[in-house]
Amino acid sequence: MDQKPDSSASSAPFVPRNLGIRVGMLLAFAITVAVALVVYVLHARGTFEEFQRLTLVTDNAEGVAPGMDLTFAGFPIGRVRRLSLNPDGTAGIHIRVPLDNARWLRATTVFTLEVGLVGGAKLRAYTSSLQDPPLPDRAQRPVLRGDTAQEIPKMVATLRNALENVDRMTEVDSSLDRSLANLRTVTGRMAGKHGVLGGVLGGEDNARKVILALDRANALLASLNGVSLKLDSVLTKTDQQVLGPGGVVEETRKAVRQANAILTEVGAQLKRVDTILADAQAVASNAKVATTDLGALRAEVEASLRKVSALIDEINRKWPFERDTRVKLP
Amino acid sequence: MAFGGEIILRARSWQRLFRFGGVATVAALSPSSYGPAARAIAVRQIYLTAWKVLPGYLAFSALLSVVIIEILRNSELVRSAAEALGRTQVDTALELVLRVLVLELIPLLTALFVALRSGAAIGAEIALMRVNGELEDRHGRGASPLHAELVPRIAAAALSVFSLTSFSVALAMYLAYTSFFGGSNAGLVMYTRIVGHLFDLQILIGLLLKCLLFGLAVALIPLATGLEAERGQLQTIPAAVLAGLMKLFLVIGVIEVLSLMIKYV
Repeated sequence: MDQKPDSSASSAPFVPRNLGIRVGMLLAFAITVAVALVVYVLHARGTFEEFQRLTLVTDNAEGVAPGMDLTFAGFPIGRVRRLSLNPDGTAGIHIRVPLDNARWLRATTVFTLEVGLVGGAKLRAYTSSLQDPPLPDRAQRPVLRGDTAQEIPKMVATLRNALENVDRMTEVDSSLDRSLANLRTVTGRMAGKHGVLGGVLGGEDNARKVILALDRANALLASLNGVSLKLDSVLTKTDQQVLGPGGVVEETRKAVRQANAILTEVGAQLKRVDTILADAQAVASNAKVATTDLGALRAEVEASLRKVSALIDEINRKWPFERDTRVKLP
Repeated sequence: MAFGGEIILRARSWQRLFRFGGVATVAALSPSSYGPAARAIAVRQIYLTAWKVLPGYLAFSALLSVVIIEILRNSELVRSAAEALGRTQVDTALELVLRVLVLELIPLLTALFVALRSGAAIGAEIALMRVNGELEDRHGRGASPLHAELVPRIAAAALSVFSLTSFSVALAMYLAYTSFFGGSNAGLVMYTRIVGHLFDLQILIGLLLKCLLFGLAVALIPLATGLEAERGQLQTIPAAVLAGLMKLFLVIGVIEVLSLMIKYV
């Protein structure tokens, strides 16, 4: 019995000699690994980095949790450290951004908090110009919140309104329904005997009347055509009678020539009268003697004047445009 | 004949365990406990508990890690969860891998492994010493059995748990990285970000505390329960050893459940 503890205490027959060194190495290595792991985790947590602090202010920090990333262009550049409720009722999101990443944040950077329908909230930073002055440490910025879930009730209300309108429009006896019925009537008429005309005029009778009127207009136009043809021939005849050979104009020209000759004759007779009057002056004394000659002469002059008068009458008769310029159509 | 179950349920036994635990921890932390003889015992214990089993244990934990990594990496469930959370699948799967392996499974399995490998042996050894009256004899000779025999074993068991845990955690993290990103260092930034995201200060301290408690439990409980064997009564040895192992499992389970509750509830 006494041997047992001894045998168990030295129950390692193949314990090597450099046991201490091996165990020392093992322990040293284990400690190194453990320390390295802890240092790596602390490094991953950013313990050895310098930070810039940033506080985002929002009226509702729902969905935000410590440890959340702040992303810029899809890359995480900072992390939410803690949340606080400010005395004025707003929520503060305290973010630590490593100094390396702080250069992406400028004074003009806009921060958004997006809460999607599914998935967690997302904090994003948008910098329009990287030339702007850098964001100061411990800056406070408002965060724009875009919440899909919040939009849904509004959307549902709008949608219901729209659906009610549609419902009202499509119910029996609604104006849309009536319009459609009218449209159906009109298209039915259009498909009928008189086609579109029937549809537009609202009935077969009206369409028939219009067609009749059109037929009449056509007949009228045909007769008008005949009238215009007759008129044309009348005008041609008139033309011939007035301007053609033996027409009014030529006759007139002849009459004028005759009148010219007669006037020349009258002129010669007047000269003779002139000489006779000179003679008469010379023989004034014995006027009584010459009275018989004068009587004969006066009869001659009167005859000439009657001829002139008759000629002028004839001219007047043959020149129809003098007094009545209208063309009398047959 | 006392059965393990009875010993477990005995309140006095737990009382004694805690008293012994306190005394032994203080003794283990004081440098004066480590004379040349004590150091030799500690070195031999570490050699048996950690060094000899290291290749086998690393192979086992590597296999387990690879299996779990591959399951989570290709899991449809993880993919849909990632989609629902609006995150990438790599993010989600890697975080799950680290949570499952590094935070829970590997420390727990290491503690259980060391408990099986050495706890039973230490318990039996101490119980036998107790039955033989060896401890009392030494006490009678003026030597402190606590310092000479027990403290080196306690320290050795705790250090073994610590070594094996840190090796296999490092191996699991390396395997997780290579499974997701291959041999290149392209994913290092992302990996570091996920690690930084996961291990906040509470989690890190919790993990270290849990490993420490596991080490203490594995070192103390079998040993303290071994002391319950009664002098000259050989038949009490199996009961004491069995009770020690069962208490150890119970304590390890309670520590694990508590750590999970603190983390997630």
